[in-house]
Amino acid sequence: MTKAIAHGYPRTLAVALAIGLGLWFATSEARIDTWASLLPLFEWMETTPLGVIGQSWGAVFATVQAVHLLGMALLGGAVLVADGRLLDLAFRDTPLLEVQTHCHRLFTCGLVTAALTGLFMTCGVAIKIYYLPVFWYKMLALAVGVAFVYGVRRPLLRQDSDQVHPAVLKLLAVASLMVWFTVAATGRWIGFSG
Amino acid sequence: MNQAIYNFAVWLDTHGWSTALHESFYLYNWIETTHVLTLMFSLGLLFLIDLRMLGLALPGIPAGDLARRLHLPMLLGFSIMLITGLLLFYAIPVRTAQSLWFRMKVVLMVAAAINAWCFHHSMTTAGTGWDTARKAPPALQWGAGLSLCFWMLIVVFGRLIAYDWFDCRTGPPEPFATLSGCINEQTHY
Repeated sequence: MTKAIAHGYPRTLAVALAIGLGLWFATSEARIDTWASLLPLFEWMETTPLGVIGQSWGAVFATVQAVHLLGMALLGGAVLVADGRLLDLAFRDTPLLEVQTHCHRLFTCGLVTAALTGLFMTCGVAIKIYYLPVFWYKMLALAVGVAFVYGVRRPLLRQDSDQVHPAVLKLLAVASLMVWFTVAATGRWIGFSG
Repeated sequence: MNQAIYNFAVWLDTHGWSTALHESFYLYNWIETTHVLTLMFSLGLLFLIDLRMLGLALPGIPAGDLARRLHLPMLLGFSIMLITGLLLFYAIPVRTAQSLWFRMKVVLMVAAAINAWCFHHSMTTAGTGWDTARKAPPALQWGAGLSLCFWMLIVVFGRLIAYDWFDCRTGPPEPFATLSGCINEQTHY
């Protein structure tokens, strides 16, 4: 079965290896030097127009936060429907490719909205969150999520689902739910830290 | 009316459980996190239904079918949001009851509930044949558009509750003081 799952997915395995190496880096001592070298970038972010607006205009910052949540809601809805279909929990009578294609578009809209608003929010409180471990956990989870979606999930589901092992489809759904839950939960916890 | 709301909030504030919930770092934050994360669940599903009705998402799935199938999980999510929301209110009753944003959020939630009821009614009386069309009938499109607007504003106002711009203890000017429900010489904040 392992051979059957691994066969024909070299790109999937390459991205999985990259994610694994990224996770290893994030837990190794080498990350500390990288983290220290990023401080000037975060100091500069606070001086950009986005950073100045974020610090001076509380109402703008709060509204952008709300739009960030709306982007996450769109992302969450798309993930739930797409993964529900992969797990055979919903829309079994609709072709898998069709559900995945349309949900992927909505997912990308949600992700872009959340990423742009997230960038604005980061500029507003750059130095504060630079020192928060939970911010880096979220960035790590987000990087894993993006690599997983665009490097593993989407290429796999773009082809005929009959060619994909059923166990792989289920694993994709479970991994997707876990990674996006982690992104959302760590993101929320940033608000409680610092 | 404002006096009655204030008295009720002060009464809730005297409960030991209210204070314990407010002062518990992990419990309060877990409840708030659940409240926000359930938003991704229930609001995300609601967005998909509304966008489908407007012809902007999932055209291959019949619109009525999508709404019926996502109805139950969406309601489950909204129930969790409601319960956690009530607990958050219970933890900080006086300040929340006198928050202008919270009051606007509640008004919009009532409007969204009425809109949802009308939407459901329109869907059941719309007959057949529209299900597979790219866009739903105009009445359902209006309902979906209103639903999107209401919920987006609810999220914005919900987020703004955390800010104290019009809190009674800051002495907001009229008409914000009245709209926030500030009471003369109030003792609890």
